[in-house]
Amino acid sequence: MKAYLGVDIGSISTKGVVVDDKAQILAHEYLWTEGNPIHAVKRVIDALQKQIDGKDIQVKAVGTTGSARKLIGVVLGAQTVKNEITAHAIGTMSRVPDVRTIFEIGGQDSKIIILEDGIVTDYAMNTLCAAGTGSFLMSQAKRLGLAIEELGEMALKSQNPTRIAARCTVFAESDLVHKAQIGHKKEDIVAGICNAVVSNYLNNVGKGKRIAAPIVFQGGVSKNVGVVRAFEQVTGSDVYVDEFGHLMGALGVAVLAKQSGKEQNFDFNIQHVEFITKGTECKKCANNCEIIHVYRGEDVLDSWGNRCERGVSA
Amino acid sequence: MKIGIPKALLYYKYRIMWRSFLEDLNCEVVVSPNTNKAIMDTGENYSIDESCTSAKIFMGHVSWLIGKCDYILIPRIESYANGDTVCTKFYALYDICRSTFPEAKFICYNVDYAHHQTEWKAYKQLGEALGASVFHTRRAYLNAKNELTVYEKILQSNQDDLIHSDNLKVLIVSHPYNIYDEMLGTPIIRFLKDLNVDVFFADIPDSADMCAKSKHLSRSMYWHYNKEIVGSISHYESIIDGIIFLTTFPCGPDSLTVELLLRKIKGIPMTNLVVDSNTGEAGLHTRIESFIDIIAEKKKRGDEYVG
Repeated sequence: MKAYLGVDIGSISTKGVVVDDKAQILAHEYLWTEGNPIHAVKRVIDALQKQIDGKDIQVKAVGTTGSARKLIGVVLGAQTVKNEITAHAIGTMSRVPDVRTIFEIGGQDSKIIILEDGIVTDYAMNTLCAAGTGSFLMSQAKRLGLAIEELGEMALKSQNPTRIAARCTVFAESDLVHKAQIGHKKEDIVAGICNAVVSNYLNNVGKGKRIAAPIVFQGGVSKNVGVVRAFEQVTGSDVYVDEFGHLMGALGVAVLAKQSGKEQNFDFNIQHVEFITKGTECKKCANNCEIIHVYRGEDVLDSWGNRCERGVSA
Repeated sequence: MKIGIPKALLYYKYRIMWRSFLEDLNCEVVVSPNTNKAIMDTGENYSIDESCTSAKIFMGHVSWLIGKCDYILIPRIESYANGDTVCTKFYALYDICRSTFPEAKFICYNVDYAHHQTEWKAYKQLGEALGASVFHTRRAYLNAKNELTVYEKILQSNQDDLIHSDNLKVLIVSHPYNIYDEMLGTPIIRFLKDLNVDVFFADIPDSADMCAKSKHLSRSMYWHYNKEIVGSISHYESIIDGIIFLTTFPCGPDSLTVELLLRKIKGIPMTNLVVDSNTGEAGLHTRIESFIDIIAEKKKRGDEYVG
C-alpha cells in the first residue's frame, strides 16, 4: 500500500504521521524536540517504523513543516516543505472538511486561521509576546501548587470565575496574586485564568477577525477543558477538539506531499545515517551572515543563511 | 568639494536629482554603501530607543560618511503643500545629526510649502552655500528636476509592463527607504520573486496623482509620504492579488495608517510585516509564504469561477 510521511518539527515538540492515500492515519508519534531537531526526527522515524513494521506499507513521499522544516526537509529528502499555517489548515480540513475557524494555542505561540469554502482567507500569529499561551498556564499552575493537567477539570467546578486582567501576562500575574490574597477560591481563580487566556487570545491574535463556526481548537492548550469551555461561552458556538489535534501540521504536510505528485520510496534506515550541522560566520563583508551547512557524513547536503552569492562557498 | 549622501531615507526618493544637481555645480558625490549589519549597529548606537529602525539606519550611514567627504547633505523637509506635513523626523534630522556628530560638517536645504519655502527657493540657498551663481543654480536645478522626472517615468512604464503578466501580483505598500534597503525590504522582495510573484511598488506611480487618489481611502490623512503610497492602492486595486504593508518598528505615521487601511479595505487579502533590526528571517518567511499560499488559492478559485 502506498503511504505518505509528514513531520512537524516545532521548537518544543516533534510530530510525525504516516497516512494512506485517503489521509487516514496509519501511525503517529509525538515527542519532545529537546533542542535537537535532527535527533528528535530520528526518534520519530524509528517509532513510526516500529508501528508499521510487518505491514505492507511503502512510504512514497515525505513532507516537513514547523520551524525546523528546512533543515529536516534536507535530512529526509522531503518532496514538500511547507509553512505550518498552510499545513495546519490542510490537515484540519482532512478531519473537519467544513471548518471555518482554527484556534491554535501552543507552548509559546498562538495563531488563528480563517477559512472560507475550503481555502485559507486570513491568518494571524502572535508576534512579540507569549501572553496567554501554554507557558503562562504552566507558570500559573505552579504558583497555585497545581499540576498543569488539573487546571481544566478544576476550572469546570467554578460557579463564579474571578476576573483577572488579561491584557498582559505580567499584570495578570500580579492581579492573580492579589485575588488569591483577598480570599478568592482556587477554582474560581483557575477559571479566571482560563477566561483570561481566551480574552487575551481573542483581543490579540483574533483581533478584527470574523470568527465563524465550525471552530476547531488545537495546540497543547486545547487539552485544557476549562479553556475550551471559556471559548464556547465567548463565541457562543461549539468548539471542536480533535483527539489528533496535535498532529494536524504533520497530517497536513503528509497530504501536501501526496498532492505534490512527486514519488520516491522513502528509506527508514535514514535514522542510522549521521547528519551534522555546522555554523560558520561569513567574513566576506560587514554583514557577517551566519551560514548553516548540513553534512551527511563528509558531503555538504545544503547551506543557507547567506544574504548574497559570496556566502555560497564560505 | 566632496558632498556625502547617506544611502537611507530620502536618498531613495531624490538620489537622481541630488547627484545631478551637485555634479552640475562641480561637487563630487560620495554615497555610503548598502546598509549592512555594521551600519545598522552603528546607527542603533547613535540613536535614541524610540527612533524607528529606518531612522536608526540613517544615523549609521551618516556615521560611515564622516571623514570621507567635506559636507554631508541632509535636507530639512516640513511640508509639500498647505495642510500636509511629513513625519517630524524629516525636519529634525539635520539638527539631530549636528548635535550627535559635532565633529562633522553638514549642509542643508529647507522645504516648507505651507510657509512659502518652495523647493526652488531651497535649492537656490543650497547653490549659494556651494558658491554657485543664481543663474548656474537655476539651470542645474531645472536639469536635475527633469532628470528625476524622466527616471520616474521609466520606472513607471517598467512597472506598467508587469500588469499583463499571469503571475501573482502583490503590491508592496511601504516607503521607498524601507522597500529598497538592503537589510529591510530587499530580502523580502527577493523572497517574493523566488516564489514567482510579480512585485508592484507603491512609491513608483506619479506622486501628485497618488496623493489625489489617497482621498478614496482617507480624506484627512496629512502625512505627505503616506498619501503618496496609499494612493497606489486605489490605483492598482483592479489588478493586484494582495497587499503587503511593510513597516519598520516603531513608525508612528505607518502604524496609524496601516491600522486604518486594514479596517477600510475590503476584498483584497492584506498582511502587515513589521520589521526591525532583530527580525528573524524564519518568522518572516513563514508569514510571507502562507500569505502567498492564500492569494494563490484565492486566485485559482477565482479563475475557476470565471472559466
